[in-house]
Amino acid sequence: MSWFSSLNSVVIDFDQSHLFFPRIVITLIAILGTFILITHLRPVLRAMRSGQYQFFVQHADFMRLLATLALIPAYFWLMEFIGEWLPNMGLGFLLASIPFVFAMSMLYCHEKTRRNVTIITANAVIAPTFVWVVLYHFFLVSMP
Amino acid sequence: MKNIMHTAKVMLLAGSVVAAPAITFAADNPIRGNIRIVIGSKSTGGDTYQASSIIAEALAAKIDANIKVDAVGFSAGYQALERVPSGNTLMIFHDQAYLGHLYKQKGYEDPFKQWQIGPSFATNPGNGYLVPKNSPYKNMDEILNAAGNGQTIRVAIQPGGVSEIGYTAMKNAVRLAYPGQEDNLVALNTGSQSDKNQAMFDGLADVINGSVQANEQYTRLPADDQKAMNFVWLTAKSSTLQNANPEGMGQTSRDELLQYASGLGVRVPMDAENDFTFDKEFFFLYNKRMSPEVVAFLDNALAEVFADGKVQETLKKSFFIPNFRTSAEAQKHFKAKRDSYAKIIESLQK
Amino acid sequence: MEFLELLSPSYFLLAAAGSIIGIIFGAIPGMTATMAVAVCLPLTYTLGLHEGLALLLGLYVGGISGGLVPAILLNIPGTPSSITTTFDGYPMAQRGEAERALKICIVASLFGGFFSAIILFFFAPILADFAIKFSYVEKFLMIFFAMSVIASLSKNILMGVFSGLIGVLLSLIGTYDVSNGGNGEYRLMATWMEPYLAYGFSLLPVLIGLFGISTIIEEAEKGVKENSLENKVNLTKGTPFRFNVFKGQTGNLLRSSSIGTFIGMLPGIGGSAASILSYTQQKNLSKNPEKMGKGAPEGLVASESANNALTGGALIPLLSLGIPGDSTTAVLIGAFTLQGLQVGPLFIGENIDTWYSMVTGLMFANVVMFIAMFYAIRYIAKVVLIPKFILYPIIVMMCAVGAYAINYGIMFDVWTLFLFGVAGWIFGKIGIEVAPLVIGFILGSSAEVYFVKSLESYGEYSILVTKSPIALVLWGLIILSIVLSVIIHRKSKQQATEEAAQ
Repeated sequence: MSWFSSLNSVVIDFDQSHLFFPRIVITLIAILGTFILITHLRPVLRAMRSGQYQFFVQHADFMRLLATLALIPAYFWLMEFIGEWLPNMGLGFLLASIPFVFAMSMLYCHEKTRRNVTIITANAVIAPTFVWVVLYHFFLVSMP
Repeated sequence: MKNIMHTAKVMLLAGSVVAAPAITFAADNPIRGNIRIVIGSKSTGGDTYQASSIIAEALAAKIDANIKVDAVGFSAGYQALERVPSGNTLMIFHDQAYLGHLYKQKGYEDPFKQWQIGPSFATNPGNGYLVPKNSPYKNMDEILNAAGNGQTIRVAIQPGGVSEIGYTAMKNAVRLAYPGQEDNLVALNTGSQSDKNQAMFDGLADVINGSVQANEQYTRLPADDQKAMNFVWLTAKSSTLQNANPEGMGQTSRDELLQYASGLGVRVPMDAENDFTFDKEFFFLYNKRMSPEVVAFLDNALAEVFADGKVQETLKKSFFIPNFRTSAEAQKHFKAKRDSYAKIIESLQK
Repeated sequence: MEFLELLSPSYFLLAAAGSIIGIIFGAIPGMTATMAVAVCLPLTYTLGLHEGLALLLGLYVGGISGGLVPAILLNIPGTPSSITTTFDGYPMAQRGEAERALKICIVASLFGGFFSAIILFFFAPILADFAIKFSYVEKFLMIFFAMSVIASLSKNILMGVFSGLIGVLLSLIGTYDVSNGGNGEYRLMATWMEPYLAYGFSLLPVLIGLFGISTIIEEAEKGVKENSLENKVNLTKGTPFRFNVFKGQTGNLLRSSSIGTFIGMLPGIGGSAASILSYTQQKNLSKNPEKMGKGAPEGLVASESANNALTGGALIPLLSLGIPGDSTTAVLIGAFTLQGLQVGPLFIGENIDTWYSMVTGLMFANVVMFIAMFYAIRYIAKVVLIPKFILYPIIVMMCAVGAYAINYGIMFDVWTLFLFGVAGWIFGKIGIEVAPLVIGFILGSSAEVYFVKSLESYGEYSILVTKSPIALVLWGLIILSIVLSVIIHRKSKQQATEEAAQ
């Protein structure tokens, strides 16, 4: 039974214990990953070559996609920037949200009728202000 | 053209009238706008949040400003403090600030280099050590002697700070009395208070770190309850604990607690002459670039808060001990405190 | 009955107000019950103990329940514990059964809430003594049991498990947290990430990034087309709500509520495990497991009764050991300390009035939650009619508020939203399954602590099996759960091929 107890025993050095579990997980991921590659690589490659698999959806709207991917980080950046300039008043949130909500609504709106644009503008001003007043001032929720 | 100039003048005048009250306000408060106090703990149920809320409320009333306490944790707190030198963001932390650095914890820099030390305002005298009620060890002497005579004693702590410092002191005490035997005290590294209690219930630990606030009720359980424990040591100075609320905590009076206090009921030597004691003290940390004017303003404001005497009552009610020092005094005090602990931590590192 | 004198009209008013405010917090993507309790915590200074507790308990119950609203209507879990509600709730909403789904959830929530309040009232001290029998080993096995959901939840077992492991790995990034028993060392990150990732990614931003922001990016890719009039979600199209939907769900309700209460009771397991675990068990035992995940009421019942049962469960260790059962009760403990009241094993006996008033408050908050939501639902469900160009910017904005506030003001959490929004969008395209990944992420870090600590303290692998009878039972359940889910996968594959052949 000594082979069992030697296999069974485990010593984890506390100073190194932060690596023990990640190593197990990485090993498992590597094994499963290789297995998936071996079994699935060929059919996937075939599908990609024949054009059956496309990364983007058919008729993707690249303008809206790219604009979205630019607009969200720009919004977060602006929020942080204003928040540092005028700290602890929630103004980073308020002053960044108004243009963001307006820009994103305009981007997603297909029929820019006078009515829709009015709704969008009103919403862009009212919604962030409402949230700012209620959450920041009444509930003291932290805001940038 | 003349008209436009006139309008502009009127508007300017109107503007200055509106701004006037703000100017007089700014005259005695150099911090404009809201103040955010970040704390070194992520918990809103812990003592740091509690002490900070009490002092923030009193300070806010004194200087007539909005103050909000945010439990962001030390790492995010340091980042927030670094970014805002105006005094709009302040931090409250306790001895962990330098102990984390002494124990070489990740993310802790030397606070004396990185920050300005602000005023201290309260002490939590509750930090202590407990044994199960059915433990063979009844007091600190028995534990230290057992370890000196070759018994392995497992102590459940959270490594790297306030929870470990008492364990370090015990180890040091064993080293002083029985050189070479200190490794018989073994740290069982756990996390929160519930993990430490659980380690005791599981029989994994002989001694656990705990506090008067969290463990007092467990000490009053009947001995046949597997959850029952006894205090063996409170690390606070007995002179500090003497200033506590006479009712103590729960059903345990201050006098009953005093028998476990350092220097009175329990002696854990630090060196040939002195006993080891540890008071967990809360203090402000400021951005290095914060102006002396703001520092002085906050010093004065807090001094006035304490002169009014009301905040002391609130603190005492929650088992804190009021403890006000101005920034300059605090800086000197904590430096000396740090140096004395650095010595015993170093002496145990081979 | 002296405590009755403590129950003033303002007591009930505050409990009701708390419940309603809590629902609103829970219903906003990114705002959680924990946050609701945390922001109102300072109010308890002025309110006094009993009134303060009434408010906070209301917020707790309301906040947990409110999470079901965005889960069903927008496919964004409002709180982490409503993640499993999205699986069946959103498909139902898309079929036009939003109102029905919401009502099913509310009834299930009420049942779960009542069930756990009753358990709390009668069995708290006994159960607390049972809970402390769960050491590192048993807690690890509980987590592992909850993780077995990944097998039954994934479309393809191999990819599902792979995704789950990626989720676990993501949860390990950062410090091996000292406050959980780690050694405070960093792993899995480069030096430049340290200022941001010292605490790792936070759960909530990851969750709403993967579910909320990624949906918006996907929609943008498709051009954000508004549904034409005839395609517009018709609120009255689907099956209307009738109470007979609960016929045959008694077992489900009782089981899920018990699981919820029990998970809540174990400190350090984390609330989201409750709904995940009961969802798996329902799927494993269901007569029609293939329907779950496609809009089956039984999935909603399991998920929502479990997460409301959490409330009573998490109060058990708080009131009878002084240890919070989940993140919200950890904040709640602040209300006691601020009032100078100590929680611990003697709390109930020494504060019998407070104890009665808390249980009353808890029950009452559940009733208010039920009434408020049942009658408000007709209006709440109309959210799906708001045009996307108005709704999406507001969702992004609210997610940003929630992410920033979840850890009391950390900007990196807001960036996490975007990071995981993009990641979720890409995952969908390369076959990584988001639900198993999220579950891996939610459970990963506690799995680590308990696994490593078990081995560290006992020094042998076999302890994981031999520790106690409880451990053996848990192993039995884990194996059963995995076997059942494999059988279910086989069955559904067969069905698919049969259908294809026809």
